[in-house]
Amino acid sequence: MFDLERAIKHWRKTLNKNDALEDSYKEELECHLRDKAEYLRNLGFSEKEAFEEAAGKIGEVHIIGSEYFKTDTRHISGRPPWQKSRWLPPLFSNYLKIGLRKIKRQKIYSLINIAGLAVGLACCAVIILYVKNELSYDTFHKDADRIFRVATHLINVVGEFRNSTTPGPLGPELMASYPQVEKAVRVVPPYENASHVLVVQGEKRFFENRIWFADKDIFQLFHMPFIQGNPQTALTHPNTVVITEGMAKKYFGEEATLGKTLQIEIDYDTGSVELQDFEVTGVIKNAPSNTHLKYDMFLSMQTMRSNLPSFEEDWLNHQAKYTYVKLTPDINVEDFEEQIQRISKIVLQKYSERFNREMDLYELFLQPVTKIHMDSHNLIEIEPSGNWYYLYIYSIIAFLILLIGCLNFINLSAALSTTRTKEVGLRKVVGAQRRQLTWQFLGESFFITFLAFILAFGLISLLLIPFNQMAGTELTLAGLKQPTVLLSLLGLLLFVSIGSGSYPAFILTAFSPVSFLQGKLAPTSRGAAAQKFLVIGQFAISIFLIICTLTVFKQLNFMKGRALGFDLEQKLILRVKSNLPHLRRDYEAIKSDFLQNPSITGATVSSSVPGDKEEGGYYLTTKPGDFKNAPRLKTITVDYDFLSEYGIKMVAGRAFQKGVGNDEREAYVINVAGVKELGFSSPEEALGKSYMAHYHRMTKRIIGVTDDFHYRGMQEIVEPLILDIENSLFNTITLSIRVENMNELMRFIKNKWDEHFPGVPFEYSFLDESFDREYRYEEQMGRLLGIITTLGFIIACLGLFGLVSFVARYRKKEIGIRKVLGASTSDIVTMLSKKFVLLILISVIIASPIAWYSMNKWLQDFAYRIEMNLFVFFLAAAGALVIALVTVGLHGFRAAIANPADSVRNE
Amino acid sequence: MAASTKPLILTILARGEMYGYQIIHNVIQLSGGTLEWSEGMLYPVLHRMEKENFIRSQWKISENGRRRKYYQLTELGKKELEKERNQWIKVHKVLSRLWALSPGASHV
Repeated sequence: MFDLERAIKHWRKTLNKNDALEDSYKEELECHLRDKAEYLRNLGFSEKEAFEEAAGKIGEVHIIGSEYFKTDTRHISGRPPWQKSRWLPPLFSNYLKIGLRKIKRQKIYSLINIAGLAVGLACCAVIILYVKNELSYDTFHKDADRIFRVATHLINVVGEFRNSTTPGPLGPELMASYPQVEKAVRVVPPYENASHVLVVQGEKRFFENRIWFADKDIFQLFHMPFIQGNPQTALTHPNTVVITEGMAKKYFGEEATLGKTLQIEIDYDTGSVELQDFEVTGVIKNAPSNTHLKYDMFLSMQTMRSNLPSFEEDWLNHQAKYTYVKLTPDINVEDFEEQIQRISKIVLQKYSERFNREMDLYELFLQPVTKIHMDSHNLIEIEPSGNWYYLYIYSIIAFLILLIGCLNFINLSAALSTTRTKEVGLRKVVGAQRRQLTWQFLGESFFITFLAFILAFGLISLLLIPFNQMAGTELTLAGLKQPTVLLSLLGLLLFVSIGSGSYPAFILTAFSPVSFLQGKLAPTSRGAAAQKFLVIGQFAISIFLIICTLTVFKQLNFMKGRALGFDLEQKLILRVKSNLPHLRRDYEAIKSDFLQNPSITGATVSSSVPGDKEEGGYYLTTKPGDFKNAPRLKTITVDYDFLSEYGIKMVAGRAFQKGVGNDEREAYVINVAGVKELGFSSPEEALGKSYMAHYHRMTKRIIGVTDDFHYRGMQEIVEPLILDIENSLFNTITLSIRVENMNELMRFIKNKWDEHFPGVPFEYSFLDESFDREYRYEEQMGRLLGIITTLGFIIACLGLFGLVSFVARYRKKEIGIRKVLGASTSDIVTMLSKKFVLLILISVIIASPIAWYSMNKWLQDFAYRIEMNLFVFFLAAAGALVIALVTVGLHGFRAAIANPADSVRNE
Repeated sequence: MAASTKPLILTILARGEMYGYQIIHNVIQLSGGTLEWSEGMLYPVLHRMEKENFIRSQWKISENGRRRKYYQLTELGKKELEKERNQWIKVHKVLSRLWALSPGASHV
């Protein structure tokens, strides 16, 4: 007999097969079935027929179910969870869930892990950007591999030189005589005032220092995209100028710029200097940071030619003329270099004709433009070259801090993995293969590294600001988009996640599941040894970094230690950059005018001040007129007050003095190194000797000898120096000040300045500050090391903290029992710390010799340096030990004061 | 489901509150038995339309004592019906004009 209720109940069970059908859906469907069956019954069907017909009409359960699911799900794919995914591995969601759960449950460990890695990764990314930037100099020019700079190698009476500069006529000559030369372009800075060219536009007056004369083809040789104007014709006429976007904004604001006029003051060293009008014929993009030839304006070479015609003929003047060539494709550079020596012969011949003596060597050589930044060690380089040494150091430091982060990760995940032995065991029992587990753990470590990466990106933007300041670069986040940088970062991501996840992935998964499930939580002795090894590694790196940082700072302090031999505190330097003859004439009057203010205690005028890297010097001879084999001494020309204002000590004779003879025409003062250079055995012996200097052709007498004061900073040996009173070279005023009311004083100085030098922009600096800038590289490295060492050390300590807390937990029961048996809190702290003290001592022993070696090597570069002493090592070791012990102790203490009843009771 | 399902259901519900079987029954009767649906498929469609706020539902005890889920139009549903109607009429007009113009079309 057919039972409708039973049939419906049975039918309803078939609905359960589909997970998408919720109870209310099923009830509604059942309701429909009953209604339909009732309707059919009324039409005269039997109960059985009615049910079958109704059930059939409702249709396939799975289709209805999946329709419901599509409506309910938020997943775009519409894939129900019980169906296999097309591309994710099975159990992926489970892995994700477990992984996330682990991170959530072990908040502190995860934080230590992720933060440590993020810091390491961020440092690495910044360094990658920096390295990439350093190596990318001038690679962006079209056919950069065919662009070269011609440079000169010469040996004359003074010595051997490699100069970046060439004679003026070289460019046109190369272009005319060699078909291999596709383009030759000369780039010449304004001669006498390159670092301070006055530019005027209406009310706007500024000094500019990135102005060049250039041949018209420069825009065909270098990649300098035009925004306005025609690159072919922009620099064909005299008194035309092409400026950068930035300059256009600075002088003309938003106005249209083409055809406007700029007044520019160039000192051609021909006597008169005046503002000349230049027509703006082009606007180009701003100079990128990665070119050795930084520019703001290009003046046409025709201007130079009309103001200084000799420039085109003088083969012997090498002053600051840079010649660039672009060769036709497929030229053998060495052959070409050989061929252009024909021009060298011309120069040699002209030299002997003019000076009546031979130069020992004169050669032209080619420098690939892409190599100039890192590899040019020529004199008269346009900007300081890059430094492979610092590139390596920065890379190593970044790598070390990443290593600390990784070791942390490995260490903590190794420690934590013992809490997952049961999971591994269970997974194995229900059929997981080792490979699957390995992938699971690697995946987890990849996930954590990925999180660290995201955090690192935030850190990078924070790090870039101080880094750019320190390294003088203009790195931006946008640099990360470069394919090579992205690729390196990707490599880093893989490397770090595999490295860090390797312990649980490869070692933990190898064990037999039986021992895990029996609850043998103990890490194996192999694992414990690995952990010790990792802790030692971390601390060795940290201690190494601490020693390096301390040494760098010690050296820096030593150099700044003011053992310079002159006073540099409270000295205000005013640079009279424009060519102003009246400073040279009326300097005494100008000085006494400044001295009216009681806060100004002294004033002196000179050609340069200590710390300037002036190359100027006198050739000195005892045989008037004959400078063959004459020794050359660096020169500072000074007034009567210079030596006393700077507190420079005399070791023999007297300083310049008014009223005692005529020092202006008759007297030199030299330093002790100069005494030796001139061949005297003692300062006294040099006194009274007469020399003629090639510059002014006057014969003067040595009246005094100064101490060897460090006028070029502590990095360099004090070179022979001669001082005399030669006012034609004066351009710097030094004011000794007493700071009481700085604002008022500066207002006074500014007013006096405007009175004496109307129209000249007022620029000043403090000597001690600009002297500190001399140590930029060292300072930079010191600060970078300081930051990184601190970060690294914090990470290492966090790692230690994590490890100790883990050990304490693992030995909880032991600690409990010891306490019950009478151990005191301090006993337990000692017990927990002892092991770590040993580890740190081993780290010290490993790190010290490496640090000693590297720092000794670094110190060799300094002319005056500190000695490495044991104190630094002791300090580093003690510091590391104390901080590590505090870290360990804190946690040990917590474990030790816990109530033993809690830990012993359970089970 | 076919494009016509939504306007069909909206139109039928415009007559008043109904439960699932009634809706299907109406559809079948209106189409003279020519519209063949798998009847179960109506329910996911109703579910979706409810999610889209065109209709709302309520469980009620019917006269024979069984629980039934009743559906009725919302304000949004009424507007939607208006929109659908205009659209279909427009399509209808265009198509009938097209078929009236091209004599061979009826054979296609």
